Amino acid sequence: MIQYVSIVLMLIGIYGLLIDRNIIKIIVALNIFEVGLNIFIVSVGFVSGGVAPILTSVNSNSALIYVDPLPQALVLTSIVIGLGTTALALAIARKMYNAYNSLDLDEIGGMDND
Amino acid sequence: MTNPVLLIVVPLLLAFLSVALKNNKKQLLFIAAVFNVVGVFIIENGSYVIGGFRAPYGINLNLDAYSHLAVLVINILFLLIITMSNEKTKEFSTVLLVALAGLNGMLLTGDLFNLFVFLEIVSITGYILSTESKKYKYSFNYLILGTIGSGLYLFGLIILYAIFGSLNMADISFKMLSYDTGKLVVPIFLMFIGLAVEAKLIPFNGWVRGVYGNANSLIGSLFASVYAGTILFVFGRVFGQVLVLSEYLVAVFVAIGVITLIAGEVAAFSKNKIREILLFSSIAQSGLVALLFVTGLIFPTVLQLLNNIITKAVMFTIAGKISDDADTDEADKLKGIFANNKIIGVSFTVSALSLIGLPLFYGFYSKINLLLGLFSKINYFVAAFILLATIIEGAYFIRLLVKLWTPGEEGKESNIKFVTDRKVEFDFNKKVIAFMLSLIILLAGISPSLVKTNLFAMNKLLNEENPSYMFELKGGM
Repeated sequence: MIQYVSIVLMLIGIYGLLIDRNIIKIIVALNIFEVGLNIFIVSVGFVSGGVAPILTSVNSNSALIYVDPLPQALVLTSIVIGLGTTALALAIARKMYNAYNSLDLDEIGGMDND
Repeated sequence: MTNPVLLIVVPLLLAFLSVALKNNKKQLLFIAAVFNVVGVFIIENGSYVIGGFRAPYGINLNLDAYSHLAVLVINILFLLIITMSNEKTKEFSTVLLVALAGLNGMLLTGDLFNLFVFLEIVSITGYILSTESKKYKYSFNYLILGTIGSGLYLFGLIILYAIFGSLNMADISFKMLSYDTGKLVVPIFLMFIGLAVEAKLIPFNGWVRGVYGNANSLIGSLFASVYAGTILFVFGRVFGQVLVLSEYLVAVFVAIGVITLIAGEVAAFSKNKIREILLFSSIAQSGLVALLFVTGLIFPTVLQLLNNIITKAVMFTIAGKISDDADTDEADKLKGIFANNKIIGVSFTVSALSLIGLPLFYGFYSKINLLLGLFSKINYFVAAFILLATIIEGAYFIRLLVKLWTPGEEGKESNIKFVTDRKVEFDFNKKVIAFMLSLIILLAGISPSLVKTNLFAMNKLLNEENPSYMFELKGGM
């Protein structure tokens, strides 16, 4: 079920990328896309009734049902990469604002107007 | 045994050091590039476990014949390009060091998620390098497309992980053999989109014109030869060797490759600026290489890929330098520019003719090999499209060369006094290295056995008879 929610989030992100013309809103849409993707990755490792894959005094039996820990490790990497990309995108957005004095892609213009 | 992980960690270590040692950044970059070129000759083929867990549970580096050849070529080209454009590396030394680490990582890794991480590192360095031209909207465009692309690659990869429970390339490959590949269309196609954005395939290449068309001599040649070469080597690894494609997917991918090839050549034909001609030619070559990898021809495709990236390194450096100095790269305004720069002119001409595939040049050897390969697979349509593309390619490159060599108007007297008054001074490094590369292209064209014996001797498995390289190591399992 949660997979469908995450795919809907990804589609909302792509929809925002396609119709927004404001650079900041495009970066927000990109983040919504990434959040949807990250939720999808975590949901892959979900096991109904599973516990965290750590041996503790309460869960000391290795025969218990554990959730898959690998997607959680993957999503951590993915979040960090997303953070880096967002920071770089915001830096470029600031440079664009300085250069063109606008954050709107329609006002900045297309390929043939430089 | 020397561990190939040094090719990744030494540039990364020097990248951190270069932040502290600001005044010696340039030297650190040069040290890392030389270290990697020397290192490539020392490392030995094999599977190397990283982190102590055996594959497929842990991460491993796969150094087989294919990836060894790839790191050899990419590291040598990287060193040559930063030497050629020595005066421009200072500002971007740290970024270039990170890029060198990421590029080697992409080629060596035996793990599909690791590949995603290195792909992102390389893409981020690419976004930063593309801001050099100060055309920020193109960099932004590239960043958005690249991020969506790698996001879709990760999406497809996670679906594959959910099905097979593994991220190891060889492990997934073995498990796919006994699985109905018709059910894997969605994840494989998502991964294809992810790599196609970086590999410049139509319709995912909207960023290329803005980024390549404004790049200077350093960045343009890095993008067109080192970055493009790495992405295409990885594309060949993932789609030619790891993933098992159903025949419908092969048909779709070949169609995308053919459309990219023809559309790229036609677009290049209609352009007048040197860099735009070269960038559309690069797009076309990417389409060609991608479609050949998908059809399963590894050996001739690698030959053609080498032809593309070596010649593009020379041509983009020269085109970038011309537009830096002369403030334009429109061929009509640069008539006869090579008449004053004969060595550079000869190097550019040799590269262009080799890319077309004329006899006596290395390009002929690669093109005849791939056509023979296609005929042996009874793939006549694709061969016909490649020959058609070659004709278009020949037409626009020869038109460009005539403009750049002969001063004066077309159809009128050509005299040295009509040479354009825009001055371009090529420095010693560019002249020597460009001439050396064109000499190699010529030698390899006259005697192709030299390439085979020298380049492929250490990679004894990379030959026509034995096209499977991945499985000699079984991913370290």
